[in-house]
Parts: sequence; C-alpha cells; structure tokens
Amino acid sequence: MNSLWVLVWWVVIVVIGYRVYAKWAARRVFDVDPNRATPAKMYMDGVDFMPANKNVLYGFQLNSIAGAAPIIGPIVALQWGWVPALLWLGLGVFFIGWLHDFSSAMVSIRNDGDTFGALGYKLISPRARKILLTFIYFYLLLIATAFGHVITKGVSANHALPFPLLVVIGVAFLVGHMIYRARVNIIVTTIIAIVAIFLSIWLGTLWQIKISYTTALICVLIFGYFSSILPVWRFIQPYNYSSVYVVYFGIIAGIIGIIIGHKPMTLPAFTSWTIGMGPLWPILFVTIACGAISGWHSLVSSTATSRQLENELDVRPVTAGAMFAEFTISIIAVIVVATAFADKAAYIKGVKNPVGLFVGGLGGAITSIGLPESYAKATAGIMILILALTIINLVFRFMKVASAELLGDAISIAKNPHIATVVALVITFILVKTGTWLYVWVLFGGANQLMASFALLLITLFLVQKAKNYKIAIYPMFFMYATTVCALFYTAFFKCLPAGFAGKKVFGNFFAAAVAILLIICALILAYDGWKAFKKYKAGVPEGPPEAEKAAA
Amino acid sequence: MENKKTEKKNKKSGGIVGFFKDFTYGMATHGMARHALKTRSSMEHLFILITMGDMLGIPILPPYYSLRLLPHVVPQITTWKRRMLREKDFVESMY
Repeated sequence: MNSLWVLVWWVVIVVIGYRVYAKWAARRVFDVDPNRATPAKMYMDGVDFMPANKNVLYGFQLNSIAGAAPIIGPIVALQWGWVPALLWLGLGVFFIGWLHDFSSAMVSIRNDGDTFGALGYKLISPRARKILLTFIYFYLLLIATAFGHVITKGVSANHALPFPLLVVIGVAFLVGHMIYRARVNIIVTTIIAIVAIFLSIWLGTLWQIKISYTTALICVLIFGYFSSILPVWRFIQPYNYSSVYVVYFGIIAGIIGIIIGHKPMTLPAFTSWTIGMGPLWPILFVTIACGAISGWHSLVSSTATSRQLENELDVRPVTAGAMFAEFTISIIAVIVVATAFADKAAYIKGVKNPVGLFVGGLGGAITSIGLPESYAKATAGIMILILALTIINLVFRFMKVASAELLGDAISIAKNPHIATVVALVITFILVKTGTWLYVWVLFGGANQLMASFALLLITLFLVQKAKNYKIAIYPMFFMYATTVCALFYTAFFKCLPAGFAGKKVFGNFFAAAVAILLIICALILAYDGWKAFKKYKAGVPEGPPEAEKAAA
Repeated sequence: MENKKTEKKNKKSGGIVGFFKDFTYGMATHGMARHALKTRSSMEHLFILITMGDMLGIPILPPYYSLRLLPHVVPQITTWKRRMLREKDFVESMY
C-alpha cells in the first residue's frame, strides 16, 4: 500500500476528532464559556498566572509534551505490524488522547488553576497525592533508563553522530552565554547556533568518532549531572532553544520527503497477535503512549497551561490541538520506518536501537528532497538524539526535586541536590547496564498510562460532581486502567521474573519486576479510593463553589 | 459589540505569519521568558522580606534605606500574599 493512504487516515482522525468530537464535547459536556473568568485573569500575578496568546501557548504546550517518545514508541510497536500501530494511534488519540489533555486543563481551570496533586487530594483522597508522586518518580526513573539506552546505543552504533552532538552541547553553552551574559542580539545568536549545528552535522559525516557503549553511557550521565546542577539559564534553556530549529527542520523535511517520495509500506501490515514482548493487548497499548495518550500531558495541561489560558475557548486549540500535532509526529515516524526497510528481518535486527531505525527511515525521506544520503541520515540521527537528550536534561533535575519531596523529611541528605542527583544517576546506570530495554520501555509506558488513568479518574469525578455526562471519560478510564495494570502484571510475572530466575540480567529484571508490582499496588489503592469518591459524588455530596463561580455570581 | 469587533480584528491581523511567529516564540522562548519571570519573582520575595519589618512597624534595616525601598514593595503586596499563601505542589517546580 502506498504511504500516502496513511495520510488519509491521519486527515480523517484529525478533522473529525478535532472539528467534530472535540467541539461537541467542549460545548455540550464542559459548557465552555468565553465570558467566564479564567484563573489567568482572576489571579494574575505576572508569574504563574498570566494570560498568554493562544498561538504562543500552543507552541509552548507542544514543546512541553512532545519529546522522543512519540517517535520511539510507534517504531518499537511496528513489531506487531503497521496496521495495529496506526489503529491504536488513531483511535487512541480520537477517543482518549485529546480528551485527556483538554479535560485536564478544563478541570484545573474550573478549580482555580489547582494542580493535579491538589485536585487528587481534594477529589479522591489525601493519599492520592502521594500515589501521583510515586507514579511520577518511577516514571522519571524508567524514562531516564529508557532514554539513557536510546542515546547511548544511538551514539555508539552510529559514528557520524558523536561529533555533531558534542557541537550541539557546546553551542548550547555558547548561546546561554551570548544571550544572558554578553547580551548579543538574539537573531545573531540564533543564526550562529543554526549554522554551527548544521555545519557540524556535515563535518560529523567526515570526522567519525568511535565510542563504546559504556563510555557513551557515562558521558550521557555526566551530561545529566551537569544539566541537573547548573542553573537553568546556563544550559537547559539555551539547549532547548537552539535545538528547536533542528527538530523543526527534521519534521518539515520529513513531511515534504514523505509526500515527494510517496513510497510503499514495505514492512508487514500485521505480523502476529503475540511477539517477543508479549501479546498485542495489552502490551502494544503501553508501548505506544505518547502520540495516542500520555499521562504526562495532564501535568503540563493542569499546571502551566491552565494558568495561562485567557479564554475558555482557547483550551481546545491549545491542548487538543497540541495532542493532534503530537499524533502527527507519530504518524510521520510510522510512515518513514515502515517504508524504509525492505523486509521484517532488517527491521527486527535494529529494534533495540530505535535511533538506528529512525535514521534509516527519516534519513530516507529527507533524501527525497535532494540532500545527500549521509547528510540526511546524520540530520535524522541528530534530531532524535536532541529530542532524547532534552528529556535527559530535565529528568534528573525533576528526580532531584522528587527525592527531596518524597524522602526529604525522613532522610535530610535527600535534600542535597548533588547527592540526590548522583543517587538517581547511579540507579539509572545500573538499570541501563543490567535491564532489558524492551521491558523497561513497557514499564515506562505503564507508569505513564497510570498517570493518564489517574487524570481520567479525576476528570470523571469532576464531571460526576457537576452532574455532567461523565461517560465520555469513565469508559476511556476503565480501558486505560485495565490495560495498564494487565500490561504491568504481564511484564512483571511473565517476562522479568522468569528471565531473572533463569539468570538473565538478574538485577535489572528483578528491579523492573519490583517497580511493576509497586505500581500495580499503587493503582489498586487508587482504584479503591476512586470508587469510594465516585459513590460519594454520585450520591450528591454538597460542595462549595470554586472562586470562578463565586465571581460570576 | 464594539469590543467584540476590535477583538475579531486583532485576531485576524496576525494571519498565518503571525501564527507562525507566535507559535515559534511559544516553542522556543516562552519557557525561557516564564523562567525569567519566576526568577524575578523569587528575588522580589527576598526584597519584600527585607522591608517586612518596616511594614509591620519593627525596623530591621536602618530606617532610611528601608523607607526608600518601601514604595517599590507596597504595590506588589497583594500578588505577593497570594503567591506566598497559595498551596504549592511538587509538580509546580517542574513547569
């Protein structure tokens, strides 16, 4: 089948999902009211609560939610064939993904801009906040392990990538210095950064650097340490700023390349109901998280975005719009990889190195617009490494804060930023070296999807409390919850533990199984508390009106 | 009616170029701007703390200096109180 038919599927999902279903739900279920004061207007403090233009927020939301996961998840899931991957991406984003992001922002807006931790405390139970924090901590740990491997494997397997990657890191320091210290004009700074990065990609194809897996991993962790410890303006912000342009270029060139090349899908449409990672249900549904539905988005929507939206009418374009844009990135990833490999064997050989698969795929698409193959492939490689490093940039920083929050009262040393960061780095190193990456990826998806279930539970309770049509949230919540718990159970008891007992990667597999079991226990407690709260709100417990309603009255 | 018309006009004036300008700013720089604002607000918290004694009638700094600082602080007291007293969450430190 020609890959352009996949774009028809994409158009159908985006047009009907965004223009029809999302519009209907915003009007009929959430009663979006343009005249209602949003928290950004009511509590404007010039910092957290600050109205912003919807287009600016759309870019901000997309930048906050889209990393390397919407690319890697679908690539890995192609093991079941591209039809199941495309079906879950399309139906997932249509029925659950956009609704989850949109409703998270709406629930927060209608509750004075409260975060999901505070809302969980208020709507479910006091311990729901702790459960959310546990999900977040293990999500961060698993994401560090998963992406630590992705970068390490990508850099050690492709010798054209280490040089430009070092230049990208150097350019980030330079950009930070030029903007904040030397006060150089931002346009001049941007031009220097872009030229240096694209030139280094070309030079990287000439000056290839060989680096072993362990050395690359240590370099990645040292990078993680500095990005956790250094001030944000010194490295993380300039890194994100200068790398946005490479990602922009990669996506635009990829789309043009797909249309010009319009190659046939060469990988099988469907392979089997069960593969090495496990059965299609539930494993595929956690392997692809971002792109279809991701719990992380609810944190962004309910924390940063909900406090900047100046009008309730903007919630749909900003949150649902960004979710559909992320779905688009996943669709591009599926097309470029499914058209790049002559047969399944060539694809399966590289499945443990998603960077390699993506380089082959997007590199091929970019070649269609006339760039030399070696340059096109190096650009694709740098694009995905930049996205993965953006996550590593933030993840250890977040873990440092999470450690202080979780353990700070009991163990005062956990509040020390250096010690908290080093502990997180050591655990990550051990897990990357001793874990099985594909199982870690499933667990990372599981922790992410449990956060999505948590968000959908909060949305359901909010709708029940307001006597609205809660069915649009409760069925997706049941599906996500059951799927995720089953996926974690299957991976822990049918994959990690048997592998550990058989003496394969013992520590990593036992640790992964322990994390999965802990997440399942947290999920069960959450289900119990959620059920009690649901019954309470269904019976009609009176509640005080939030500030917005008081102001309207 | 007039306001709605002006709003519509303002929205249209951006056009597709305006959209891409705003979108790129949102993708690349909005996070940086937010962080700069947060840094400034934490400096202001310290600043307000310095003059807090005088506001309460207990001079801590030599009165001449704090009295000179006071006019800069007073207009921000309302938002400062709101920020300080608002319940904060772990997630907020991330975004």
